[in-house]
Amino acid sequence: MTESEPVERIAMDFTDAGDGRERAIALLLLSMADDEFVIGFSDSEWTGIGPILEEDVAISSLAQDELGHAQALYRLFAEVVADGRDADAVAYDRPAEGYLHARLLDHGRGDWAATIARRYLYETADAARLAALAETSFEPLRDLVAKIRREERYHLMHVEAWLDRLAEAGGEPRRRLMVALEAMGPDAGTVLALLPGEPALLRHGILAEPFAAVESTWRARVDGTFGRLGLAALPATRDPGTARTRHSHAFRALHHEFTMVRGSEAAATW
Amino acid sequence: MTDPLALDPVLPARERSQLPFNDAALDHDERYRHFEEHVTGGGKVEATDWMPDEYRTQVLRFVEMHANSELMGVLPEREWIMRAPTLRRKLALTAKVQDEVGHAQLLYRVAEDLGKPREAMIQDLLAGKTKFHNVFHYPTKSWADIGIIAWLVDAAAIVAQQALRDSSYAPYARTMRKICWEESVHIMHGRDVVVTMVTGTPAQRASIQEALDRWWGPLMQMHGPRSDRSKDRDIHWKIKAKTSEELRQEFLGIYVPRIWELGLTLPDPNLGLDPATGEWRYTEPDWNELRRVVTNHGPKSEERLQFRRDNWAATQWVRDAILAAPRAAA
Repeated sequence: MTESEPVERIAMDFTDAGDGRERAIALLLLSMADDEFVIGFSDSEWTGIGPILEEDVAISSLAQDELGHAQALYRLFAEVVADGRDADAVAYDRPAEGYLHARLLDHGRGDWAATIARRYLYETADAARLAALAETSFEPLRDLVAKIRREERYHLMHVEAWLDRLAEAGGEPRRRLMVALEAMGPDAGTVLALLPGEPALLRHGILAEPFAAVESTWRARVDGTFGRLGLAALPATRDPGTARTRHSHAFRALHHEFTMVRGSEAAATW
Repeated sequence: MTDPLALDPVLPARERSQLPFNDAALDHDERYRHFEEHVTGGGKVEATDWMPDEYRTQVLRFVEMHANSELMGVLPEREWIMRAPTLRRKLALTAKVQDEVGHAQLLYRVAEDLGKPREAMIQDLLAGKTKFHNVFHYPTKSWADIGIIAWLVDAAAIVAQQALRDSSYAPYARTMRKICWEESVHIMHGRDVVVTMVTGTPAQRASIQEALDRWWGPLMQMHGPRSDRSKDRDIHWKIKAKTSEELRQEFLGIYVPRIWELGLTLPDPNLGLDPATGEWRYTEPDWNELRRVVTNHGPKSEERLQFRRDNWAATQWVRDAILAAPRAAA
């Protein structure tokens, strides 16, 4: 698998996207939107069955925030691509292999420890990515990133509190957390894997620094936390060339479910 | 979304301390008489007030069933969160189900203050010892059900709940103000889903009609059989204000015309407003079905309870970790 493949996939969706700047922006927006969309779905599976009523309400809010971010990013993508499709069409009307979320998010909901592990790894990586976009030259994205960062701050506080609690509880909570981190660790770095449009993003001032540098900043933060909690350090990213392609069976099952109603009648308004 | 007025105390503390039934020097019968006089005269009761055992038990049973219903009521709709057909619907449905979980939490807290711990209430629910509303024992078969539930099940519920905003038990009355505020948003969401489908394709319209036909029986049973006002202890203690039939008539009066307005039909040939009495006539609901269903013999009763038991068991380790006494700081 070459790293140009996602570009080809995107190219199937918009052939007139401009000089490389628009194409690179679109690829960035779609990958971020799909990340938020998929983690929002996984988190919303807890709505109604959370471990504690108070936490049930909290994770529903987090899921709604992520889905709201996805919606805003899809809208921006639709504006950049301007092929007549709206945010819903972009979000729902693609085959499962056309989604560009990071492989970390292909891990299904799992137990509460898996949810905390996935949220922690994603939220910290996303925070590093958003920091690198805070001064982006693409104004609509700059405004959106500022808004998203205000909310993500609370998401981080929430997940860091849970990570500490599970890790420090010892016994079963810590064991479950370690199992989840071991399963997801090799995929954690996929959120910050090189995007094919990176040279254009850097050249046009969309992204402040290469993803490799963003990833180093993020790894330093995670290493510090894991060191403090006595957890094993994160391994290197497994197969970074397919970080956002070749999705898992768990995602295909999720895709089948979320397109079920919408796909039941083409062209209907819902 | 909280109505800011919802948190106003119903009765000021100073006034409360002077109420005669709070006077420990009086004997039980005198306190009981003062309490009954206070409540039947429209007075409110706070959690810290003295209250007769009958009142405490009656309020607890009422609020506990309400809390159970909110908690079990999330399950039929929750199944469709993952299948919502647009981002907006997905967000609205997640928020609605989240509201119901929040209502369960608020109501269990009201009930806890009356002396039964939350854990005991959940255990009784899971063991099938306590009840939840009939409508949550039925399956959801299509996306149209999501519209019908949010519009009409929530409408039937809000008719009852609005009458509880003036309950004699003040913590319950305050909680109901917040809940009614949120339920009214659910009804708008439900009606929007229904109107979108009714004005959509023929298949969408047929799907709404099919769901409405299926839900009509349970909706007509929801408020319960007619009862004698003078024998109803919940009414005597002003825990609730209206009888089952008064609530059903109110629901029919508001919603039947709205249903007909959309060109939908209702599966009851006898349904109609009697101009002579101003009352709605209808075919007698199947009360045997209601009794079967609320004693956990409904089409989805056991499956939903088992689903709750399984999830409760699967997350026990989290509660053990979090609710345990914090470890001493190093």
